[in-house]
Amino acid sequence: MIRLWRRNIPLYMMFVPVIIFFILFKYVPMFGAVIAFKKYNFADGMLHSPWVGWDNFKLLFSTPTTLQIIRNTLVISLLSIFVGFPFPIILAIMLNEVRRMWFKKVVQTLVYLPHFFSWIIVSGIVITVFSQQNGLVSGIWESLTGSTYPFLYREGSWLAIFVSSGIWKEAGFSAIIYLAALTSIDTTLYEAASMDGASRWRQIWNVTLPGLRLTIVLMFILSMGRVMEVGFDQVYMLQNSTVSNISEVISTYIYKIGLMGSQFSLTAALGLFESLISLILVLIANAIARKYGNGLW
Amino acid sequence: MKPSLGEKIYLLAVYMVLAGAGLLCLLPLVHIASVSSSSLQAVASGHVTFYPIGFSLDAYKQLLEGTPIMRSFWNSMQITVLGVIFSMLFTILAAYPLTRSYFIGRRTYTFGIVFTMLFGGGLIPTYLTIRSLELINTYWSLWLPGLVSVFNLLVLRTFMENIPTEVDEASRIDGCGEWRYLLRIVLPLSTPVLATLALFYGVGYWNAFFNVLMFINEPAKFNLAVLVQQMIQSQTMLSQMNAASGSSEQIMLTPEMVNAAAIIIMVLPMMAVYPFLQRHFVKGVMIGAVKG
Repeated sequence: MIRLWRRNIPLYMMFVPVIIFFILFKYVPMFGAVIAFKKYNFADGMLHSPWVGWDNFKLLFSTPTTLQIIRNTLVISLLSIFVGFPFPIILAIMLNEVRRMWFKKVVQTLVYLPHFFSWIIVSGIVITVFSQQNGLVSGIWESLTGSTYPFLYREGSWLAIFVSSGIWKEAGFSAIIYLAALTSIDTTLYEAASMDGASRWRQIWNVTLPGLRLTIVLMFILSMGRVMEVGFDQVYMLQNSTVSNISEVISTYIYKIGLMGSQFSLTAALGLFESLISLILVLIANAIARKYGNGLW
Repeated sequence: MKPSLGEKIYLLAVYMVLAGAGLLCLLPLVHIASVSSSSLQAVASGHVTFYPIGFSLDAYKQLLEGTPIMRSFWNSMQITVLGVIFSMLFTILAAYPLTRSYFIGRRTYTFGIVFTMLFGGGLIPTYLTIRSLELINTYWSLWLPGLVSVFNLLVLRTFMENIPTEVDEASRIDGCGEWRYLLRIVLPLSTPVLATLALFYGVGYWNAFFNVLMFINEPAKFNLAVLVQQMIQSQTMLSQMNAASGSSEQIMLTPEMVNAAAIIIMVLPMMAVYPFLQRHFVKGVMIGAVKG
């Protein structure tokens, strides 16, 4: 018994700073979320601000802006997920078909690259390329149609650009997961299929895709669980006042009204709402994934 | 097995599509580099495609002289290097004890850590916590909240768990303590994963935008990301630069040129490091993928 304690001493020496970190920067804010039920002010701080119960939530959900924000978040998120979903899969399958190693390596290097760019860079590229005055795409568009189009200032095209830039940035890197799954498909299945006379296309349809089915379902469910989290960076960079009707999402709203506008309690309520929904979704998603045989834990 | 004509066409199509995808990822960057180094007339007339026309480095000169970009660059360097050191340190200290089956409270701690991946206090409470610790406007506010990424932690822990138990037992017999085992055996064996995680942390810190925007008020402390974003969003930088140029000839530059040059400056360090680390991180991500 004493030996167990003694063995744990160096381990705890290592782990205690970690515990402090998690408590201080993860769990304290979690309990601090309680200000969603209070009316926060600087003087009283998180602990002593007056309790207002559900008032913040009531105010939040009776404002049409809130509902629009939530709607925008869901629209942008679901569009990004559904439209973007096939690309990494197709990319991985195609990369798997390539036999020349050098070609595969080069394409992989290029295609993983955008993932490492910050949204500053990607949005900078997008704004430059789609700029109405000198942008590359605008130039091509003008020579085709004879007039310029304000790509980033019309809701439809803005949305398309938003979703496409997200795919451009992440499709390559997301393909890694599928590539890993592809290597675990039994190669004898391919041999058996080709011996039965299956063409490459047939082989993909009947061997590769079923082999990927588990991974696909898992990835899809995981992304469903995160549907409320539209990243701040991408939206903030690309949005402008003209398209604010569809481009204001939960994260940017909390930043503007909460941080900049000092409406701490109100936006804390919105944040708590978002966190709770995310948690519920992930738990549901994991329960479903368990049914298919593969949970997160 | 002789490939039929249909299969040959299919393969050709695959190669072409993949080449297209690769180019699609490369060309926008090439275009930006060209815009940043072309002459004003070429850019304004919209003729610049994928190579500079009328090569000139004026945009860069103006950037370096008229804006605090070098200071922001240096800030980003500080934030990144120190951030990676702190994060790697804590990630290792967190992962190793979790692999020891005799670590008291292991299950509880693992659950507590994974739980933070699913549920968080949210933006505002985190901000208020940092503020009550009086860390606003210091770089600690950038390093501390994101010190340990649970995903990275789990990847490292999985890798450490896969070290064969014979190694563990052998070292135990030789009288090796926990610290020495960690430092002399586990870490050297884990270098691919450590390199991968360092890269991920590094990229995260270099690109940090939202946190800096939130926590740092002093423009002198801004990192490259925030500075470049401000440049792209506002024209005032451009007029400041023109005013600061001071020379008798007004060097007129379009906003696109300046933005492009700033983007290239921000991307350059990453491009320099990326080819070397690319082979490492694919392995690292695959390990993470197997886990979840």
